[in-house]
Amino acid sequence: MSLLKPFSKLPGLNSANILLVENEEQFQQSLADVLVEETSVAVNVRLAKSLPLPMENDESRPRIDLVVFIINLTSELSFQSAETSLKYLDPGYFLGKVCFMVTNARNASVPTEHLDAVRKLAASLHCPLLFAEDQTPDGVTSATERLLTVLKVAASLVPTTTALYLSNLTRCTLPPDIDQPSFD
Amino acid sequence: MDSSGNASHCFPMDSSGNEGNLNRKMKTVALNDGPAPDISTGQKEMSPGDMLRIKQQMSNQCFEMAVQVQADKSKRSCSTSEADRELPDYISELERVKTLHFNNTLSLHRMQMWHAVGEKLKQSDPEAEALKTVTERCMALCSQIKHLQQESRNLQDEITEIQKTRLEMKRLTHEKMRQIEELTSKKEHADREKYKAVLEKGQANLEKYKKMAVMTQNVLRGILLACKINWLDDPSLRDIAMSLEEFPISD
Repeated sequence: MSLLKPFSKLPGLNSANILLVENEEQFQQSLADVLVEETSVAVNVRLAKSLPLPMENDESRPRIDLVVFIINLTSELSFQSAETSLKYLDPGYFLGKVCFMVTNARNASVPTEHLDAVRKLAASLHCPLLFAEDQTPDGVTSATERLLTVLKVAASLVPTTTALYLSNLTRCTLPPDIDQPSFD
Repeated sequence: MDSSGNASHCFPMDSSGNEGNLNRKMKTVALNDGPAPDISTGQKEMSPGDMLRIKQQMSNQCFEMAVQVQADKSKRSCSTSEADRELPDYISELERVKTLHFNNTLSLHRMQMWHAVGEKLKQSDPEAEALKTVTERCMALCSQIKHLQQESRNLQDEITEIQKTRLEMKRLTHEKMRQIEELTSKKEHADREKYKAVLEKGQANLEKYKKMAVMTQNVLRGILLACKINWLDDPSLRDIAMSLEEFPISD
């Protein structure tokens, strides 16, 4: 099984590598365009539809510091693809190097079960859950800023913190009434 | 750049990895383009700040890898609930150590700064003059502060004294009031005692005379009945006999 391992390669100098996994392959493109505009550190963005990544460019691929799963709540397929991709990730990644990003959470047509399922997944894996708005440039910019914050910690660019320490502060928690029916 | 078309024949159908490297910095380009053994000529000049930053990044990365290695070495089977229980303790310990380290660093910087200030004051250039005037002003303000604090302390002491005397007055007043109440209640009680004795005696006398009256009436009734005196015709005799009936027969 071709697992993506966090520490199997040597790290790069003054650079941060982020992998965006999205089934629809739309939001990741706009995120990537804004991410590379970061000037203080060299950000390498790799895009993928799902894991496992092809073996051919395994040699040229740098060490991935942060894996972000982008889930669109309006499609069931998005969530399933993310779930299956999780199996191809080495457990070492889940100590702070994985992040979930959810789009279209405010859409009225989204049933609450989807969001609950994503929440439960993120909480069981102790990963942070970010919400993003992908239609406006402002939304993309703010999502990029938040990702950059987590990325800088995961790439060890922040002197006093490691990804593991940050994960204790940012992990997703379940509200106690998540299994009860909501108001509407 | 890989295209998804090439990948499909080697791998399972859902893993079409489409990757794009979008970095535009010169450093990385220089590293990738051709075998350049002398890396420094292809990059812009690295400032000491940059080098320190990179050094910190590397030490951080080494730390992470060391943690991972150690975790792999000491793999023991423990349940997640047990780990969850111990986690807050570890986190608080970590935070405690971090704040301690931070405070120590702060005090170290403070000492260094004061040493530098002291060294500066020993020289006599315009900066040192400015420092001296500032220091003198600080001293003046500090002595004023001390003076004011002493005054406020004295005032506070006076206030406490006055409160104590007031409390003492209140206590004495309460005592006096209590004594007065005691005396008044005692006097009433004594009067009532004498009065009660007289009252009882009077009542005993009343009972005695009542009994005597009743007995006399019974005797009179007996005589009237026994001698068969006609008391209806004589009005004064009739009055007496009628009054005999009204008097309750006490037993």
